[in-house]
Amino acid sequence: MIEELLVYTGLGLIALGAFAQLVSGIGVNRFRNFYLRLHAATIGSIWGCVYPIAGAGLVALGYKELGPYSTFMAGAAFITSFLVLILSPAGSHALARAAHKTRQALVEPCVHDALDPSMCVRGGGS
Amino acid sequence: MFVQEFIAAVVPLYLVATALYLYRALKGPTIPDHVLGVDLLSYNLAVLFIVLGIFFKEPILIVTAIPLALWIYALDIYVAKYLERRVMGA
Repeated sequence: MIEELLVYTGLGLIALGAFAQLVSGIGVNRFRNFYLRLHAATIGSIWGCVYPIAGAGLVALGYKELGPYSTFMAGAAFITSFLVLILSPAGSHALARAAHKTRQALVEPCVHDALDPSMCVRGGGS
Repeated sequence: MFVQEFIAAVVPLYLVATALYLYRALKGPTIPDHVLGVDLLSYNLAVLFIVLGIFFKEPILIVTAIPLALWIYALDIYVAKYLERRVMGA
């Protein structure tokens, strides 16, 4: 009973992660500048990476055909999801800060940029 | 239970997302866009390692995902540091 519950929850999280990665892939290609693409990318890293890995850990806890290594797989999956949960926002923050400070990516369709008004390109295309 | 059938039905969605990320990683007009595309490709690869490790019942596949997650962070930090100060290294 409890094994079936774990497996169904985990499979639901894996399917949710697949949907989130699809949304993130569409968003990464449709948004118009780097900072908006970063917004879509964090969907792909939290909803699309942390949740399905934790779900895979739940599946491994309840899936008896894995044999004696099932708890090992569950533990490694939970550790990986926790690492991604901590490290992916830090990494994207560092990347965005460097891109804005060194003027690598302009703010192209811009309303207001309080940090550096000279990077604000109003009404830009593409 | 239907774990293997369900995973076989879900994995193509991850592969479509891989193709979309790859397009952005190759095209990306600025350097941070390339790095963002490579980041997302690596997160996608980490999820695929773990999900396929359950699909094939191979526990060794799951060990590879932990260093991969750490290397993605290292790539972000290296690139950000290089862009800001023009020095390689930590």
